[in-house]
Amino acid sequence: MTEETLLIFKDDCCGCHACEIACKQEHGLGVGPRLIKVIEKAPNFIPIYCHHCADPPCGKACPVNAISRENGIVLIDEGECIGCKECIDACPFAAMQFDEERGIALKCDLCIERLKAGKAPACFSNCPTNCIFFGKIADAVSEKTRRILRER
Amino acid sequence: MGESKTVRTVCRGCHGGCGVIAHVKNGKVVKVEGDPDWPINRGKLCSKGLAITKLAYHPDRILYPMKKEDGEWVRITWDEALDTIATKFKEIIKDYGPEAIFVAQGTGRDYEWCFSRFANLLGTPNVLTAGHMCYLSRTVVSILTCGNLPVADYAGNPRCIVLWGVNPLWTNPDEYKGVDFWEAYSKGAKLIVIDPRENFYTKKADLWLQIRPGTDAALALGFCNVIVEEGLYDRDFVENYIHGWDAFVERLKEYPPEKVEEITWIPAKQIKKAARIYARTKPACIHWGVPTEQTNNCTDYTRTAIALMAMTGNLDAPGGNVFYVPPPIRKTSELSRHDALTPEQRAKRLGGDRYKLAARAYFITPTVAWEAILSEKPYPLKAGIIVGSNPVLTRANARQAYEALKKLEFLAVADFFLTPTAELADVFLPSATWLEQNYVSESWKRHGYVLARQKVVQIGECWQDHKIFMELGKRLGQEWWDTLEDALNYMLEPAGITWEEFKQIGYLRGEMKYYKYKEKGFSTPTGKVEVYSTILEGWGADPLPKYVELPETPISRPDLLEKYPLILNAGLRTPTFFHSENRQVSWLREIRPDPIVEIHPETAKERGIEDGDWVWVESPRGRVRMRAKINKGIHPKVVVAEHGWWFPEIKDPGHGWDISNINILTDNSHESMDPLMGATNLRALLCNVYKEGAR
Repeated sequence: MTEETLLIFKDDCCGCHACEIACKQEHGLGVGPRLIKVIEKAPNFIPIYCHHCADPPCGKACPVNAISRENGIVLIDEGECIGCKECIDACPFAAMQFDEERGIALKCDLCIERLKAGKAPACFSNCPTNCIFFGKIADAVSEKTRRILRER
Repeated sequence: MGESKTVRTVCRGCHGGCGVIAHVKNGKVVKVEGDPDWPINRGKLCSKGLAITKLAYHPDRILYPMKKEDGEWVRITWDEALDTIATKFKEIIKDYGPEAIFVAQGTGRDYEWCFSRFANLLGTPNVLTAGHMCYLSRTVVSILTCGNLPVADYAGNPRCIVLWGVNPLWTNPDEYKGVDFWEAYSKGAKLIVIDPRENFYTKKADLWLQIRPGTDAALALGFCNVIVEEGLYDRDFVENYIHGWDAFVERLKEYPPEKVEEITWIPAKQIKKAARIYARTKPACIHWGVPTEQTNNCTDYTRTAIALMAMTGNLDAPGGNVFYVPPPIRKTSELSRHDALTPEQRAKRLGGDRYKLAARAYFITPTVAWEAILSEKPYPLKAGIIVGSNPVLTRANARQAYEALKKLEFLAVADFFLTPTAELADVFLPSATWLEQNYVSESWKRHGYVLARQKVVQIGECWQDHKIFMELGKRLGQEWWDTLEDALNYMLEPAGITWEEFKQIGYLRGEMKYYKYKEKGFSTPTGKVEVYSTILEGWGADPLPKYVELPETPISRPDLLEKYPLILNAGLRTPTFFHSENRQVSWLREIRPDPIVEIHPETAKERGIEDGDWVWVESPRGRVRMRAKINKGIHPKVVVAEHGWWFPEIKDPGHGWDISNINILTDNSHESMDPLMGATNLRALLCNVYKEGAR
């Protein structure tokens, strides 16, 4: 698997929340954890999501080493998590979530099951304005340029 | 491992149209995805569509028919439910005539002809819809003016897009889903946005006109004035295809940009600039939303918008506003059996003499229904059937709607849940969601498509609404089909295919042809675009469009300003809810848990209101409790409130219908409505906002 990343061009986020529901459905989540979340600061929208950091602060904060990064994806081993919430405090993007029912931290896994099946993450696939980028980091730069050039 | 399969079908989370692949496991839908090969949504679904499993399998959903016995709901069979309704309706018809029964639906949910057919064969002209102020109103005025509804032609690559009171990526599903707009915009089209609020689109726009709510007709007339004064119109089109041009031009003299600035609060310079961009950029389309219809100028806004499209040569031109060609299936008018309603019954349509355009389309404005129930004038309305509608939340002057429905001798309601409206019924019929029905979906017919919505699962004893009308109709001696499939085959017969074949095909698209008027003219009495309406002239109404100041504004009611200094726009749409729906859907309610009123930071500060505070919004007709959201992108004199709020989690039968229901604040008096359509004025009223506990 080549290292791919997900990032959101927030100027193109229209605040429709379809990504959130696609994510909930894909991961079978109930009310509470929102692995991707759009906050409305009218008239702007701020997407909150895991950046799968190269040197993830959540992983460093975890006292039981339940968080690891493989092939560019930061994953949490739910079986190892002790629910101490250190990772939630450590995340600079406020992306770490907590499942109150199970008492464990949860996070975006970049839809790893879909990736294995050759499909892109659910949020990316469903975004109506294509403001979610999924691909190689180098390509994200040219995508950003393309979007700036479109602005008139 | 149980059986797994996928079924290709069509969403109806709004009016419908988006293609869906539904994943089924052990007889239950476990997941839905947008169909990547579907021409309308191209793999995308909105939050409402994606959350269908949470609605369809909701623990509060009613899965069998019920009747009320001594104030309690008890389960009954379909036979008992339909026999009870049929027996009651026959009694009413015997004692008072069929006109004493009203037949109601809410927003369009893809069963219009079944609904109309049931009413027509029953013999009642009293048909309640949302059509007096939503989409149907624009359609009937379009037919009057140019013979058909002109739809923005995103497929034709517009170079200029005017978004007029619309948020296509959130709502406005009858005009378009958002993906078409976004693709056309992304190809570099110029964008003009007309909206009272700064939003996603205004930030993308070449020009944003921040309009005073409700003054759209004046702005449209101002655009026309500029285009005429500066000679920017299409001379060939005007000469050959417009009726009444000279009189129209004379009328336009009353709307110079400086005067329109006073009315709309938009600087004259911007009005001129927008008119020039629209007139000079070819092709250009106007994509319009319901706020333009929800005022007393409903009819005249639509007429003027069509005049704009026509005089710039954008009507039925690629990339302009066009008449798509539907596939050759059975005509809705034939299936609806409008011919079966006798002239004597037609003449009894409540308010028909006054609201002539509504009557021309076949519906009534709700005010006349509530009056006939409450005052029994001009004759009593005694009973009704409501399918997929919650008028207690969604119609102006909600308290009157509530009192009227409560007073009825008999009411049947078909819905998914026991809504505040359904709780007032005597019989409840459990409706099927879009996952549970077979239908030749017509929701996208004005865009040239019909779509195969095929049944994925059966849940409980729920029936699709088409079957409810059909089986109830048969019990009342009406002419229907033996089975629903027979009806679908009849619909499809002119296309030469059966329902079984259509399911495999997925959708049909009519062959598009532009500039049809060059061969056939327009389907109006003069064969031209009637900017001067011969039909309205015949009725003694003003044949030319005009702007009439709204009934309750700082200009028309300065006497109210001391107590109600703010303008209330009572119709903010959200991406997660569809009118009064989805408040019990956990995924969606989590995103938008509370009823929101948006308020400018200065206006909030003056009142000691902070973001997230609970506040009272008060109009001369009452007050409701909402949660303040500070938005620096709206005018300090304007507040914008969400509609449709009730609280399914409140278990008493009212379900909190009167706590945050913005329609308690709206007006439905005859003087406040569009004089020909009966459109209610929902987008500009006077109000005040104050912090809870402040008084």
